[in-house]
Amino acid sequence: MGNYGRLLQDRSFWHSLSFSAIFALSNVVGCYFLGLGLALMLQRDFPGRGLFRVLLLTPWIVPSLVAVVSWRWMVSDNGALANKIIAAFGGDPIYFLSNGNWTIVIVILIKIWVSFPFMMLSLLAALQAVDRSLYEAAEIDGATRWQAFMHVTMPEIRGVSIVLCILMTIWTVNDFDTPWLLARGGPANATENLVVLAYRHTFARNDVGMGATVSFVTLFILMALFLIVMRLTRGGHNAR
Amino acid sequence: MRASRPRWGTTGTMTLIVLVINVPIIMMVLNSFQTTADIRSSTSLIPKSLTVANYVFLGSSTPFFTYLRNSVFNALGAAALSLAAAVPGGYALSRFRTGLLSVYSSALFAVQMFPIILALIPLFILFRAMGLIDNPLSVMIVYAVLNLPFVTWMARSYFDTIPRELEEAGLIDGCNHYSAFFRIVLPLTGPGLAAVSIFAFLMAYNEFFVANVFLRTQQTMTLPVGIQMFMQQFSTDWGSVMAASTLMMVPTLVLFLFVQKFITHGAISGAVKG
Repeated sequence: MGNYGRLLQDRSFWHSLSFSAIFALSNVVGCYFLGLGLALMLQRDFPGRGLFRVLLLTPWIVPSLVAVVSWRWMVSDNGALANKIIAAFGGDPIYFLSNGNWTIVIVILIKIWVSFPFMMLSLLAALQAVDRSLYEAAEIDGATRWQAFMHVTMPEIRGVSIVLCILMTIWTVNDFDTPWLLARGGPANATENLVVLAYRHTFARNDVGMGATVSFVTLFILMALFLIVMRLTRGGHNAR
Repeated sequence: MRASRPRWGTTGTMTLIVLVINVPIIMMVLNSFQTTADIRSSTSLIPKSLTVANYVFLGSSTPFFTYLRNSVFNALGAAALSLAAAVPGGYALSRFRTGLLSVYSSALFAVQMFPIILALIPLFILFRAMGLIDNPLSVMIVYAVLNLPFVTWMARSYFDTIPRELEEAGLIDGCNHYSAFFRIVLPLTGPGLAAVSIFAFLMAYNEFFVANVFLRTQQTMTLPVGIQMFMQQFSTDWGSVMAASTLMMVPTLVLFLFVQKFITHGAISGAVKG
């Protein structure tokens, strides 16, 4: 149990915990709304729809390494694409990967970019399962499109949305590739989430005990989160 | 349904969105055909001169093709192992209801959300004792387990589409359960199971974390681990790093195009709709 005591006094643990929370929350919110928006567009009938659906999946299917490489050079230094664009508008270059806060923003952006296609596909499947006659009824009752969306679409896809958000939270908390490949959890330990911290303890500092402790705490937090969400949603109607 | 004119406006908006979203990938491919000096100095998005120098460099002065061979070999092994477990597992979940099976089904869900790092620590100690570090077998086993939930559910959804009556007819004609499975069900689910194995292959081929822990020498490294090393060593040689990433991405994209139509009615819709 000594390891748990050490862990609670360790500032890098609290930092990792809060970064993991920020990382997961921003990613879930970001990729849910991006995915939902695109799913709503793809649900409409327009020329080239099938092709667009496939082309929007690339960020999700490319290997995580390729995703990070393709982003990392854009923000790598003052000659990189992002800074060329900033310079074109007369701004000063930003050193994205040596400033902790900027690196956090970039990690979150990459994660949203990688995750939204899964949300989009799953929400699209859920949207297509909604009974058409409900929309017709709403139209007859004089509902605007916004009202139909809020009162027909959203309740119908609520169950799926909750499941997807739980899954995405778990996957984001367990993500090692994005923070590690972008900046090895750095600069300093700005983007060090719980998994990277556990990896550091185990494989760089040879402290298997602390590594296992951090991973167990991660598992407990995820399980607790899962149970709370399940308890809260059982009151409403069930996941379809 | 009312007939309406094609909505070209939506198509235009979507084209723009798709382009913006794919900018990182497009730029990476374009840059892989330029020298690093040109990438850094260029002020336009469209490259001025194209060169394959980066690709030649990969072949001549880096172990890129060793990594590629390792990646493909490991992924094939992992796909074969996952399929060997998922086909009988998926079939059982599709056809039978017993207490043991529902335990297995929830165990699969647990694997799905289990933090890999938690399994990697004891596995590392175990594999070290067994001499499996730097051995492709180590990652194949771990990938097979990690793939298991997805692959089993997907296989199950294909078995669900085969009517039970077909096997019953076979049983009446003198098949036993095994021959009914091998002669009737398996041939019918062939295309679906091919898609399942391609997914299993892709997940193993794309994977970085596990390979990074278990494969530590250049002879055994897979592409993601190798390219990552390369990126640390030659952090400013973006041309070659991007050429390596582009080449790595090609098999992924090609295989995905084959199986993308299976994805909507496969595991995702199955898992989400329950």
